Amino acid sequence: MITTQNLTKKYNDQTALDQLNLNVNKGEIYCLLGANGAGKTTTINLLLGFIEPTSGSALINDLNVSQKAKETKKILAYIPENLMLYPSLTAIENLDYFSGIAGKKLTKENVISFLKEAGLQENAFEKRITAFSKGMRQKVGIAIALAKDAKVLLLDEPTSGLDPKASNEFGQLLHKLSQKGVATLMATHDLFRAKEVATHIGIMKDGQLKEECIARDISLRDLEQTYLSTMNYKEVEL
Amino acid sequence: MTRKTFFKESKELFRDGRVRVAMIIVVILMCVSVWISARQYQNINEQYKVANTSERAIWDNQGEKNPHSAAHYGTYAFKPKYPLSLVDQGVDKYAGTSIFLEAHKHNEAQFSAASDQTGLARFGDLTPDFMLLFMMPLLIILLGYNSFTKEHEMGTLTLLKSQGISSWKWIAGKWAALFLPILILTTVLFIIAGLILSNLRDFGVFDWNALLWMYLVYTVYYIIFVNLILFISAKTKKSGISLVVALSLWILSCLAIPKAASNIAEDAYPYPTRQEFAANVLKDKKQGLDGHNPWSKKAQRLKENVLAEHGVDSVHKLPFNFDAYRMQKGEEHEAEIYFKHYNYLKEQFVKQSKVYKGLAAFSPYLPTRFMSMAIAHTDYATHWNFADAAENYRIATQKFLNKNFEQNAAYGDWSYRADANFWKQLPAFEYSPPQLGAVLSQNFSNLGVLGCWLVGSFALLLFIKKM
Repeated sequence: MITTQNLTKKYNDQTALDQLNLNVNKGEIYCLLGANGAGKTTTINLLLGFIEPTSGSALINDLNVSQKAKETKKILAYIPENLMLYPSLTAIENLDYFSGIAGKKLTKENVISFLKEAGLQENAFEKRITAFSKGMRQKVGIAIALAKDAKVLLLDEPTSGLDPKASNEFGQLLHKLSQKGVATLMATHDLFRAKEVATHIGIMKDGQLKEECIARDISLRDLEQTYLSTMNYKEVEL
Repeated sequence: MTRKTFFKESKELFRDGRVRVAMIIVVILMCVSVWISARQYQNINEQYKVANTSERAIWDNQGEKNPHSAAHYGTYAFKPKYPLSLVDQGVDKYAGTSIFLEAHKHNEAQFSAASDQTGLARFGDLTPDFMLLFMMPLLIILLGYNSFTKEHEMGTLTLLKSQGISSWKWIAGKWAALFLPILILTTVLFIIAGLILSNLRDFGVFDWNALLWMYLVYTVYYIIFVNLILFISAKTKKSGISLVVALSLWILSCLAIPKAASNIAEDAYPYPTRQEFAANVLKDKKQGLDGHNPWSKKAQRLKENVLAEHGVDSVHKLPFNFDAYRMQKGEEHEAEIYFKHYNYLKEQFVKQSKVYKGLAAFSPYLPTRFMSMAIAHTDYATHWNFADAAENYRIATQKFLNKNFEQNAAYGDWSYRADANFWKQLPAFEYSPPQLGAVLSQNFSNLGVLGCWLVGSFALLLFIKKM
């Protein structure tokens, strides 16, 4: 569902992404780990078609993002680190609008059912977003993905700043989506959450994918050590 | 998507307290301005009716009098107030409301409303045209300056893009959400004006077509502003910058350029001063026939020609009163002089108008203002038209009086008195302004410039699409 083939992005002499090859199949959750500037967000922006690759290609459901931007956007959903919604609109109105933008015609009942499915508490449905916490906004974001019936989910550090409970709920939602066959690519700094939710984990550094592993085959401790050694960080002894 | 964006934008606008307050203020000001204008309009028309009737009664009841004395006694031509001046008062306030019609002199309109006001009038009046021309564009700025910048600032743009938003439909939704409140306000204002005008009695013929044209002109003006404000909002990253740029555009379009255009036009084609004008008229008058002076060379030559023409050797043997004949000829000569000098003023006015129209390319305000005033019959062109009609009436009146004197009195008999009923035979002065069709064809270039602004501003939206 999500494929990159020698995907490269250069800004003048600076290489933000270097020959990235990765593949995320239906129902898989692929977590990209890496320090700031490792190329995680660049990868997501290339897959969204927000920026053009210098070379290589980004494919969503075998469609080249650069050539078939409209078609690929029909099947993908995106949740950025800080999902920003319209503060003066309610959760229902935001979901209705963003789904409408994607060409989905929803009844109010549909909208409510998606918000419920995303785990948003019912008393928040009619409240304006301005009063929402980040976790609540992320749930609306998931509801947008659900309403869109997205086959691909791109997440850019969606759990940063979330409290453990909200983060855990978010992870559970990703699992649910994964069971529905959604292919998810998530950029994150959160090793623990990556280990919890991912089926596959990749570690990026300097625009390159340095390590890849299957999440269930690696312990959190080993993942941490691999990450630190990849980054050339020394482990701090407690 | 357009419909969704429209409803979303509208909800956001109406949930914004600042916008609600601004809209309420504009609506209140509009209602007050229409109410004030309607009252002024009624007062002025009542005054017009009273003045017209009483002045005519004075003329009709002069009693037995020498026609030339009556010519010097004179009468007034009053400029009617037209229904649409309720919406756009144009230059009416400054142009004068009545012209004194007397023998030998072409007087200018006097008793302007502005001359009756105190210095406080410099602060301006709250009129519907002020609201339509100045405040509505400001409201458009307030409603639309952050139309696109807020998407950057709130961070919603990335989510929108990821949802596969169609630029055109998105822009169309935002455009409709910004334009519709303005359209509703304008429509309501014009409907109220139309209802008030069509229900006022004795105030001339109210033309719904003219009101409709005026409405269309203002609608186009607002569309241009909506397009420009959306373009500015799309091309700037921050709402603050967008607001400053939009306000600068408003200042340039509605204040600076019109004033600069006025200065440029006056510098390029100045009017003579009142003293210069009077001196030039006097100089030309002296070179021609003075109807009152039988001893001048011109009068003597006229006498010789008339005597030769009629084959007699004395003015006493002429079948008419030569004094009256000479005065009429003098009147005709003076009329020619006035025609020549006023024609020069008109030529200067036309040249100034051309400069204005040229500069209208820099501001949509100018063609809108010209069209609005022209349709309301409150522009200078209508004033000139009225002044010409009054002058023609004056000439016809002098001819009417001189003819009576000429045919009923012997030469040298200045004791002749016309019958007391004679004055009623002079038809009353009636003035009809140019019809709507003529006004529109006269203002074709303004319509063209406004059309170019409209097309150009829509073309700017193409650049938004490329964002």
